[in-house]
Amino acid sequence: MSPFEPSSAPPTGSPTGSPTGSPTVAVVGSGPSGCYTAQFLRKQWREAEITVFDRLDLPYGLVRYGVAPDHQGTKAVAKQFDRLFERDGVRFAGGVQIGTDITLEALRESFDVVVLATGLSADRPLDGEGAGLAGVYGAGALTRLINGHPDEVADTLVLGQTVTIVGHGNVAFDLVRLFLTPASELLALGVDAEVVAAIGRGPVTRIELVGRSAAPLAKFDVAMAKELGKLPDVRFEAEGLDIAVTEGQGDEARREAIDGLVSGSPASAGRSVHVRFGWSPSRVRGDGAVEGIDFVAADGSGAVLTLSTDSVCTAIGFSESETSAIRRGDHEGPTSDLARGVLDTGLYVVGWLRRGPQGTIPANRTDSKMVAETIIHDVTSGDLVVGKPGYSAVETALNDPAASLSTLI
Amino acid sequence: MSKTVILYGTESGNAEMVADDLVDAISSERDVESVDMSDFDVSDFDAENFYIIVCSTHGDGELPSSARPFGAALDSERPDLSGIRYSIFGLGDSSYETYSHGSEIIDEKLTALGAERVGVYGRHDASDGSLPNDDALAWLEGVLEPA
Repeated sequence: MSPFEPSSAPPTGSPTGSPTGSPTVAVVGSGPSGCYTAQFLRKQWREAEITVFDRLDLPYGLVRYGVAPDHQGTKAVAKQFDRLFERDGVRFAGGVQIGTDITLEALRESFDVVVLATGLSADRPLDGEGAGLAGVYGAGALTRLINGHPDEVADTLVLGQTVTIVGHGNVAFDLVRLFLTPASELLALGVDAEVVAAIGRGPVTRIELVGRSAAPLAKFDVAMAKELGKLPDVRFEAEGLDIAVTEGQGDEARREAIDGLVSGSPASAGRSVHVRFGWSPSRVRGDGAVEGIDFVAADGSGAVLTLSTDSVCTAIGFSESETSAIRRGDHEGPTSDLARGVLDTGLYVVGWLRRGPQGTIPANRTDSKMVAETIIHDVTSGDLVVGKPGYSAVETALNDPAASLSTLI
Repeated sequence: MSKTVILYGTESGNAEMVADDLVDAISSERDVESVDMSDFDVSDFDAENFYIIVCSTHGDGELPSSARPFGAALDSERPDLSGIRYSIFGLGDSSYETYSHGSEIIDEKLTALGAERVGVYGRHDASDGSLPNDDALAWLEGVLEPA
C-alpha cells in the first residue's frame, strides 16, 4: 500500500513505459541516494516512467531510520522527496523486496535502467573476544529502534547505568545525546514508549565515549559535539584530548569543542560523559553478558584501558549485511566501472553501496548527481538501448502472491 | 534586457528546490532563471539584472558546498559590484547558534564589493521540520512589490 495519493502529475507519455528515447527506470532503495537519483533523472526526462522500490512500506531509508528524531531540520529533506511521488509522477513501490519478491534478473528484464541504492545497513562488529555477548549493541540497530524501524524490538535492550560507546563519529554522538535526553522529550518527539522505557530503565548515568583517533582526526562534526552542551545535568571529562597530530592534519576545532564541553561542565552533576581518545577495543569481558571492555593504546605503546560497563554500543561504521537479498559482489564483472556507478549493462549502483559508508545526506546527493549523469550519458549516447516496458511487466507478479515472475520469464 | 537571476547555494537540495519554486512563481511575469552558484562566473554580474540569492547553511555556520567556489571566487577576483542590486533569502536551523550564517557570509562579501542589498533579509528556520518554500514565496512577493 502506497503512503502517497496517486500522483496528480500529468500521465507519462505512453500508457505503459516511457516515451521513445527515454528509459524505464527502477531504483532499488528509497533512501537519499535512491531518491536523489530519481530526482536528477526526472529533471532530465520529464516523461520517463520512474519507479522507486523499497522493501519497507515507508520510504526514505536512513532519513527516516538513521537521522535522530530530534534532528527534524535534517529529516525535512524527506519533504523534497515527497514531491517526487506526489507531484512529479514518480511511483513509490513499497513493501517490495528485490531479490525475494522479484529477482533482480526479472527486474532487469523489465526496466532499461536499474539502480541499486540499498545502502549498507549492518553494524560493523568488534573484532576480538566477547563481541557477541548479550549487552553488545550496534549503533545502527539502536538508532533504527529509536526511530521505530519495524525490524527492531525493544525488549532485548538493557543498557544499564554505565554504557560504553565505541567510536567517535556522528552516530556515536547521536547516541550520547539520545541516551541522556529526558524521557518526556523523547516521547514528545514520537519515540515509542516501550523504547523510551528501555533506554531509561538503568537509568544511564555514566557514558564512556571511546575512540581511537586523536581529537582533530575523529569523525564527529563540531556542531554535534557542541550540541551535547545543551544536555541538562551532565558533567563532561576528557582523556587523551591533547594527543598531538601532524601539523595541518584534521580539524583543531574538534579539540576545542570537546574542551568547551569540559570547561563548561558543572562541578557536579547526576550524569557524566567521559570522552577518551587514542584507544582501540581489544575485547569485551563477561560471563554470558557484558561486564567490562578492554582497550589498547592506538599508538602501539602497549598501554591498556580496562572499563567496567553494563553495556557496549559499537559505532564503528557500517558494512553490507550478509543476509542482504542483493549483494553487490554478485553483480560485479569485467564491465563494472564503480567510479562511474556502473555494475553491468543497464545496472548501476549509487550512494553508500557504491562508495562505502561515509558521508551524510549532501555527500550522497553529490554521488547521485554523478551516477545520474552516467546514466544520462549512456542513454543519450545510444550506448544503452532503451524500450523495455517497465512497471507494467512486473505489476501482475507483484500483486499476485501466487504468481512468481521467475517462472513467467 | 533586464533579467532576474536567482543564484542558489545548496547542500541537500533544499535551496535549489526553493529557487525552482521562485522561478515557477514569477516566470509568467518576468524573464527569470535559477543558477547554481557553482555554475556562475562572478565576472558575469550585470547591473541590468536583478539578483536573488538563496543560500543555506552547512555544518558549523559555513557555506553549503555549491556556494563555496562562488565565495572563493568573490574573494580572489574581487569584482566591482557597484550598481548590482540583490535580495537575499537564507535557510538555516535555529537549533544551531550559527543560525543562517551561510547566507550572511555571501551577503557580507557582496556588500563589501559594492553591491546593494534591497528588501527585507528573508530567513527560514528549519528547526520545526518545515520546508522553506512557502516562507520564501511570501518573502519574494514582498521584495518584488512596486516600491
